[in-house]
Amino acid sequence: MNAPERAGLLAPPVLKGLLAVIVFVVLPGTLLTIGGGYLFQIATTALIFVILAASLNLVTGTTGLLSLGHAGFYGIGAYTAALLSTQLGLPFLVTLPLAGLSAGIIGVLVALPTMRLVSIYFAVATLGIGEMIYVTLLNWTDFTHGPMGIRGIPSIELFGWRASSSLDEYLVVATTAVISLWALSRLTHSYYGNALRAVREDDQCANAMGLNVVRLKIEAFGISCFFAGIAGALLAHTGKFISPDQFRFSESINILAMVVVGGLGSLPGTVIGVLLLIILPEALRGAGDFRMIAVGSIMFLSILLLPKGLLGEASALDLLRRQFGEAWKSVPGSNVGWR
Amino acid sequence: MSTEPILEIRDLTRRFQGLVAVNAVSARIEAHKLIGLIGPNGAGKTTLFNLISGFITPSDGDILFEGRSLVGLKPHQIARLGIGRTFQNLRTLPNMTVFDNVSIGALAAFGHSPWQALFRGQGAVSRRINELTHEVLDQVGLSGQAGELAANLSYGRRKYLEIARALATRPKLLILDEPAAGLNDTETAKLAEFITGLVAQGMTILLVEHDMPLVMGICDRVIVLASGAKIADADPETVQRDPAVLESYLGTRDA
Amino acid sequence: MLDIYFVQQIINGLSIGLVYALMAIGFTLIFGVLNVVNFAHGEVYTVGAFVGLLLITWVAPPLLVVVLAALAVGAVTGVGLERIAFKPFRRFRDEASLRSRAMREATLLSSLAASIVAREVMTLVFGAHMQTIPQAYLLQRPIAIGPLSITNGDVVIFGASLAMLAALQFMLFRTRIGLSIRAVSNSPMGARFVGIDTDRAIIATFAIGSMLGAAAGILVGLYDGTITPQMGFAPGIKAFVAMVMGGLSSIPGAVICALILGVAESVTTDFLASGWKDLVAYAFLIVTLVFFPQGIFGVGRERA
Repeated sequence: MNAPERAGLLAPPVLKGLLAVIVFVVLPGTLLTIGGGYLFQIATTALIFVILAASLNLVTGTTGLLSLGHAGFYGIGAYTAALLSTQLGLPFLVTLPLAGLSAGIIGVLVALPTMRLVSIYFAVATLGIGEMIYVTLLNWTDFTHGPMGIRGIPSIELFGWRASSSLDEYLVVATTAVISLWALSRLTHSYYGNALRAVREDDQCANAMGLNVVRLKIEAFGISCFFAGIAGALLAHTGKFISPDQFRFSESINILAMVVVGGLGSLPGTVIGVLLLIILPEALRGAGDFRMIAVGSIMFLSILLLPKGLLGEASALDLLRRQFGEAWKSVPGSNVGWR
Repeated sequence: MSTEPILEIRDLTRRFQGLVAVNAVSARIEAHKLIGLIGPNGAGKTTLFNLISGFITPSDGDILFEGRSLVGLKPHQIARLGIGRTFQNLRTLPNMTVFDNVSIGALAAFGHSPWQALFRGQGAVSRRINELTHEVLDQVGLSGQAGELAANLSYGRRKYLEIARALATRPKLLILDEPAAGLNDTETAKLAEFITGLVAQGMTILLVEHDMPLVMGICDRVIVLASGAKIADADPETVQRDPAVLESYLGTRDA
Repeated sequence: MLDIYFVQQIINGLSIGLVYALMAIGFTLIFGVLNVVNFAHGEVYTVGAFVGLLLITWVAPPLLVVVLAALAVGAVTGVGLERIAFKPFRRFRDEASLRSRAMREATLLSSLAASIVAREVMTLVFGAHMQTIPQAYLLQRPIAIGPLSITNGDVVIFGASLAMLAALQFMLFRTRIGLSIRAVSNSPMGARFVGIDTDRAIIATFAIGSMLGAAAGILVGLYDGTITPQMGFAPGIKAFVAMVMGGLSSIPGAVICALILGVAESVTTDFLASGWKDLVAYAFLIVTLVFFPQGIFGVGRERA
């Protein structure tokens, strides 16, 4: 296909197979032998965040739109799945795609008026939208039960098979995560991904080359919200309980930090960022409530020392080299007002 | 022969808060010709350029491309109709490879959708984008550097990359915005050869340039703008002798 | 016939609006000078409130001293913030990179990270629960003016805010450092060419903006009676909204919009449960961004 594309860790088939073996055999096997339902829960959470971070990466990393409201769409997915299954008794196979679709559709509706905004304006608009979703979840008590949250969400069920153990749940989440990653990597490592990257690098120029920049942004945002919704549904069905506090601004920042640390625009980087920010705080758990402090500090250090994260679109080393040169000089188009 | 113009500008005017940047300019650009557009700094060349490619809308007048009005169309729609452009200050995408840079142009020519990226990664459209990209890279002589990051190319090479990307949109009319700026004499000569080669293959080119010898040497016809208005429109020899042109240049700077 | 309750709400709204205005000025000043958004501004507000509380519980000085201390600590916090989260990204001295997109986004993220760390550290130190202000300092004593009943808090906020606004105007237009701030805000390169120490002007901007933010924090703490480490977030967002509505670099615009926002919020509690109040600010934000990208009082220098 597009030969000179930066291959990325996920590209070669061997590596893909290796990763699949690790995710589906080695990791669960190890966790089983150490014997921990709790460890499976962490692994499941990590995978849900892999989907979230990878979906945010499509919008923020590849397309270059800083979104500060991703947790809102995650919440829409979670509440859709929770309400559909508790109120209407719909099965997981129906609630999962519907959760994604509802988040995706709301994402597109939100994107339609805001996509003409650039840079920080867009970031702040998404922040506002994320908080609006949170306020709605919190206050629309008839529908969402407000701060009480929704309890007793049925666990995952597929064709009569019920995911009864944490291992089962882990496997279902892992499968969904792998499919999502496949789709997102397909989107980014393709000509379509190139179009999105062009929008990130220089939207005016992309426009002059015949790309419908606004449409591309809306598509990317919608797709990203779709996967955030999928992640939300997984959270609802594996956690059994959701409340608005799980979908606040701080969670959006948490997801953003994962993408930033891992490297904007790089899927493998994103996965590493998630592992770093989920596992490190868990390891530090004994030391107290350092989770968010760790998140903030890691994010700060990575912005300061590795402006493009661990595996950003241009490699970190390359960037360190250029840090004092071209990379920080004026961005083309910065003379055209606020771009 | 083909006297029917591919691009026709009629009484085009653009005002910026009282300042008239382009003042009732009319011009015709015939197919398969190399037309030069010159004028002193601030003459309105870039504004005219941005008007044609749709980045700003005219206050008055009309632009017809193959008989179709471009007024009100978005830049990407104009690009898809067949007007490719380059940017004066290089707008190559530095963090992307040379290949990917050019594929952007090809992509727009063939269309793209997330659906296609997901399920037709190896399909006919991708193959055509791939072929067209390689073809254009060959044409400008960048094949050897297809995998390099655009940022790592030399300045001169990036100029060609910029042109290649515009060519990949399969334009019927190519607008080059000061392609020779910053090039030395040898490089400029090579560029002139390349541009005339394109025209010989049937391309129509509108060349906006400061480099007077280049314009006078290769253009079929030269349009001169001064203070937003067209003051001359003729073959290079006639323009060079035109007292109005001389005056406009001497009045502002030595050239 | 004007409903007396409605008038009451408007007065409350103006008090809240003034607090937002104090914060919005900080945002606006910093944006004017560096073209960046300081996401940690809300934490400066929280710091102001906690410093006030500590002082009150330990020393119990007069109110004026509490406010002055908050101002001083605010200035120090602002300077520290600038050194940590903004200075490291100002590597280049030419105008384009001083205000480049890379710079904007890097500092957006770095100030965001700084704000997370600051908030969480305060949570660790003070606990996530509400801290109550000692009774003696509460600004909730009712004052009756005819049928209206306002509190001494309203009076203090009005007085303090107007005094600070006046001081700010004086500082910006009558002092040397104010001149240098305005010069850098107009053109960093130009300012440098005429021998202005841009670095100093930037530090001064952060100090002044953060002073106002910290003062707002302690005033609100005394007015509401409770403070939490999270208290800075919502006012921070609202002040930001006011800045955007006001046209980004216009201080009068930001102040007027902050007042509009405060009143709008206060009045909506007439119609909606108070939980929905925050929605008003966000709705204003989105509407402003979409329909008035240059701000309602925009000077039109920057555009979306």
